[in-house]
Amino acid sequence: MEIELSKISLRPFKLEDADDFFLFAGDDQFTMNLRWKTLTSKQEALDHIKDVCIPHPWRRSICIDDRSIGFVSIFPFSGEEDKFKANFGIGVAVKYWGHGIATRAARMAVSQFFVDFPEVVRLEAFVDVENLGSQRVVEKAGFQKEGVLRKYAYVKGKLRDLVLYSFLSTDFHAAQAEAD
Amino acid sequence: MEDTSVVQLHQNKPEDECPNLSLRPLDVSDIDAFMVWATDEKVARFCTWEPYTNKEDGLSFIKNTVLPHPWLQAICVDDRPIGAISVTSNSGNDKCRGELGYVLASKYWGRGIATRAVGMVVETIFDEWPHLERLEALVDVENLGSQRVLEKAGFQREGVLRKYVVLKGRSRDRVMFSLLSTDHRPT
Repeated sequence: MEIELSKISLRPFKLEDADDFFLFAGDDQFTMNLRWKTLTSKQEALDHIKDVCIPHPWRRSICIDDRSIGFVSIFPFSGEEDKFKANFGIGVAVKYWGHGIATRAARMAVSQFFVDFPEVVRLEAFVDVENLGSQRVVEKAGFQKEGVLRKYAYVKGKLRDLVLYSFLSTDFHAAQAEAD
Repeated sequence: MEDTSVVQLHQNKPEDECPNLSLRPLDVSDIDAFMVWATDEKVARFCTWEPYTNKEDGLSFIKNTVLPHPWLQAICVDDRPIGAISVTSNSGNDKCRGELGYVLASKYWGRGIATRAVGMVVETIFDEWPHLERLEALVDVENLGSQRVLEKAGFQREGVLRKYVVLKGRSRDRVMFSLLSTDHRPT
């Protein structure tokens, strides 16, 4: 399968994405490193879009020809002390792995996010030490590896070592300045 | 966010200068001792708070933050508080993790007291909290004294987290340190 990366777009989720959403989020391999449970029905997909994706402060569907094949989520922290930080998450349908889609989507998302949330200074991504694919995605998207946080948190009941990456608004503005 | 405020400038004073070191709960009756370090701008330098200017604020802090805290103890010399040390707790998927913080009156810096106090906490916290797997501490990149305290106490430096906090209006980089229950007592 050849994928033209120029066909990748980001947009908010719609209820109409439920079938496509169930296709990718119904796969254990897709949800393996996420906190989500694998979806078991189209109703669950519809509920997830309605209750989680649509109200989310910044979640986008990753689309090919406007069909949803994944998500990218950026979650600003709440509270006066922490609102300058946000957490980054991404997932692409398993059948589309290996084409650079997640990297392209990550780059697009980061650029748009810093425009939409100018008060955020630090974007963080936590990636399981064993998830080499996702580490490559965030590295190629321009995140900087800061370190491995040992036994940092439970994901799906298992205690994990997580690699912490960051992308600062100053990194973004510096890259923009270089591009101009 | 816990604070690690100690900047130790002199490393070689013998430990037996302060033999009677102990940890005990901090109470409103300790307010005068508390004000000694809480009003000191050297102590507050890398902390999220500004030096205290009046006793009422100090008493509020003790009542509202210290007394309900899941784990906070006064660091005492001859049973007189000269600082405090604390561990936060988390819930759910984060319950494996606790954050260590400490403050010490500046007159007691440079004698290995913070290192000993951290050691005393490490000896008991994993037994008191069996769900705790990871004790972590975040230290300002410029706070070399506190970094040395944690290294001497056996913590591992994991990396520099860029612009991790906004402290007094400025973004600060923090060094992340951790000690695992398995580091402390290999199974």
